[in-house]
Amino acid sequence: MTAASSPPGAPPRRRIPWTVRARRDRTLLIMVAPAVLLLAVFAYVPMLGNVVAWQDYSPYVGIRESPFIGWANFARVLTNPLFLDAVANTLVITAVQLVFFFPVPIVLALLLNSVLSPGLRTTIQSIVYLPHFFSWVIVVTIFQQIFGGAGMVATRLREAGYSGFDLMTNPDTFLLLLTAQSVWKDAGWGIIIFLAALATVDPQLYEASVVDGAGRWRRMWHVTLPALRPVIILLLILRLGDALTVGFEQLILQRGAVGTDVAEVLDTFVYYQGVVNGDWAFAAAAGLVKGLVSLALVLGANKLAHLVGEAGVYQRA
Amino acid sequence: MTAPHLAGGLSRRSFLGFLAVGAGVVGVPSLLTACTSGPASTAQGGGTVSSGVLPTYVPVEYVKPDFPSVNGSTAGYASIPEELVTAFATPPGSGGTYSAMTPLWSAIPKTSGNPYFDAVSEAMGTTVEFQISDGNTYGDKLAAVLASAKDVPDWVCVPTWNFPPRFAQAVDALFEDLTPYLSGDNVKKYKNLANIPTDAWRFGVFNDKLYGLPFPGELVHLATFYRADLLAELGITEQPKTADEFIELAKELTDPGKKRWGSADQWITANMMFAVPPEKGWKLADDGSLVSRVESEEYRAALDWQARLYKSGAVHPTAVADKPEEMKPLFESGEILIVNDGVGGWHESLGRVLPSNPDFDPRPFDPFAHDGGTPRIWKGAPADMFSFLKKRDDKAQIEELLAAADFLASPFGTTEFQLVNFGVEGEHYEIDGDGLPQATDAAADDVAPSYIFLVDPPKVNAQVQFEGYVEAYCTWMADASQYVEEPLFYGKQITEPSQFASLGTPFVDLEKDIARGRKTLADLDDAVETWRSSGGEELRAFYQGILDEQ
Repeated sequence: MTAASSPPGAPPRRRIPWTVRARRDRTLLIMVAPAVLLLAVFAYVPMLGNVVAWQDYSPYVGIRESPFIGWANFARVLTNPLFLDAVANTLVITAVQLVFFFPVPIVLALLLNSVLSPGLRTTIQSIVYLPHFFSWVIVVTIFQQIFGGAGMVATRLREAGYSGFDLMTNPDTFLLLLTAQSVWKDAGWGIIIFLAALATVDPQLYEASVVDGAGRWRRMWHVTLPALRPVIILLLILRLGDALTVGFEQLILQRGAVGTDVAEVLDTFVYYQGVVNGDWAFAAAAGLVKGLVSLALVLGANKLAHLVGEAGVYQRA
Repeated sequence: MTAPHLAGGLSRRSFLGFLAVGAGVVGVPSLLTACTSGPASTAQGGGTVSSGVLPTYVPVEYVKPDFPSVNGSTAGYASIPEELVTAFATPPGSGGTYSAMTPLWSAIPKTSGNPYFDAVSEAMGTTVEFQISDGNTYGDKLAAVLASAKDVPDWVCVPTWNFPPRFAQAVDALFEDLTPYLSGDNVKKYKNLANIPTDAWRFGVFNDKLYGLPFPGELVHLATFYRADLLAELGITEQPKTADEFIELAKELTDPGKKRWGSADQWITANMMFAVPPEKGWKLADDGSLVSRVESEEYRAALDWQARLYKSGAVHPTAVADKPEEMKPLFESGEILIVNDGVGGWHESLGRVLPSNPDFDPRPFDPFAHDGGTPRIWKGAPADMFSFLKKRDDKAQIEELLAAADFLASPFGTTEFQLVNFGVEGEHYEIDGDGLPQATDAAADDVAPSYIFLVDPPKVNAQVQFEGYVEAYCTWMADASQYVEEPLFYGKQITEPSQFASLGTPFVDLEKDIARGRKTLADLDDAVETWRSSGGEELRAFYQGILDEQ
């Protein structure tokens, strides 16, 4: 997003007046104008509405008539124990998914890359992509039908004399369930970008390493993974920026089944406290806090990437 | 299909929200008072109604009911009278066209070129163009529409469980004050509106002005249904008489190997058995002080009982997984044998299931108290929904809309009622040899209950097409009526200050957690403590103010 404001290849030079530069770059400027307009109208102008976070806002009297109350809403957000619980849950879920979900597409992509028959490869690819297109309602229902207390597994177990199996309502295993659902639904979709990165690896590098006597593992370690590294870092940073967003639908659908102690995350918290209770100002304040923390995470991670010599998401021109 | 509430898959939140109406639905008063007032000012939001605001009650009756009302229970009819009365010799409207927004809990019909809508428009002399939305998500749509004044249709249905916070403010800003048109004897110009009981009107008063056209409610509006056909098959004829007997029965019925569970979630049953004050409600302690629902021993006992029920293993796993929208299908397929529902759910399920399973026979349990003593049932709200007319300068248009409302409020026994509820005779229904209307195929496509959500005559049961149903329904409610009591603040349209809007939220989650054994009653004590310190005491003072004014 930030990169868009300074198009690469046109570093500003102070001595040339902007009218001249505008004339020189007019083709580029015209080309970028629709995107800027789109962003302005649908992203930046609505952002002005965030002003309600500093108001005791009521939609029936409007922004103009609602009184300003300073930082009171932010104070309420930050001192609300439920908000802090929601933040904690969100971070735990993000951490677990980072460890158990994030590497899955990489491994899958590497495995798939080693399948030589193009027909087989396309078939596998299509099959693992498919669940991505199911809505969360369907995914949760499928899991309920299989792992729920009246589901397939429980019924088979009951026939075999074991009762009481119900994975869907067990708060202790909820993290695993959540991650399993994410893997099932989105791991296949996640491999696309890694496959694309793998396709760019120069085959001569492999040939050269074979000539040097590198085996399968050494080739992966010294050729494939270094080629993937910038993409992995990029996605990791973007994921960190999303750290406070862990899937609203998936959680709201299962919140009642396992309870708020483990399933209340920031997005569901904002929805219930803000939208359901009509406390729009409170919701806006909570949303802003979340946005700020996410921004800090992205900037921090990007900085870290620069320190270890990676390109990261963007660089200063 | 006259009772859409609780139909379909209302979320449990809204489902339970329905309990709230017993006490007085809670919206939110003027923002400024909410911010500046220290001790809550009672003049605001207290549901006070000055004399002279309410319409005069002039009852009309066209047909004597076969099952008359007892203590206010719903009266019923066994057949359609052969001679219908025509209440309006000429169409009352003057040819205007108005938009209207209503919910619907079934497939949405086409709204233009629909012979049913066209026929009603012609008979009414006023065209209503419907914008129909799915009832389960109606509240979401409504919140957005009301927040944008220019998108508000001419006539809007607002179910009481969908009142958004700060609703009283919205009503003032958006809708026409009907007091000058309907107060006192003014209503006599509209004879069918005058036939609507005063309680229903009082409930539609906001900020001491009459705004809402009511969809009247029923004396008893919730019940615990069991599958009488399946219980008989299992040889069980005894109904439970105590809370413990209920759990015993539910356990006895449960056989997971046969895919059969005794019970769904029974929070409503628990509330009824223990006579828990309605949601957001209060009761008077022996010393005359106000005790909130969440502080009451009844609430605590009901929670404890739910936890025992869940622990017994008799609750269907889908209910444990908190999927309230799945309960009706599971009940209808026989996987669950006891469920909670609104009383209107009874004939709705008959309509859905009888064609494929003629033995299907849901019945409500007779009321019972947890200890086997005399049951107490909280009186249902006087109105379940309201419709509002958008503010406009042209008074003639308001009068035309009220004339249309008068037409739509025509009671059972009139050709108008027949048209509004069943469609056009010969096209949408035929009267069979027993005097019962039989719907045609065209009815399924065209006739969707929509006008009734704008305004409805006082409730009667005229679902004559199901054999024996009306009698069973009316007998059951007549019997239950002896136990009915008005909860505190009954029928008052109370608007709580907005800062209290989220006070109750933790309890909704706690109710689920305690039932499923994830939390204990000790957590309830903590939650009540938090509730008291974060605004509960001020809320008590607010209600005390209202009580003192009564």
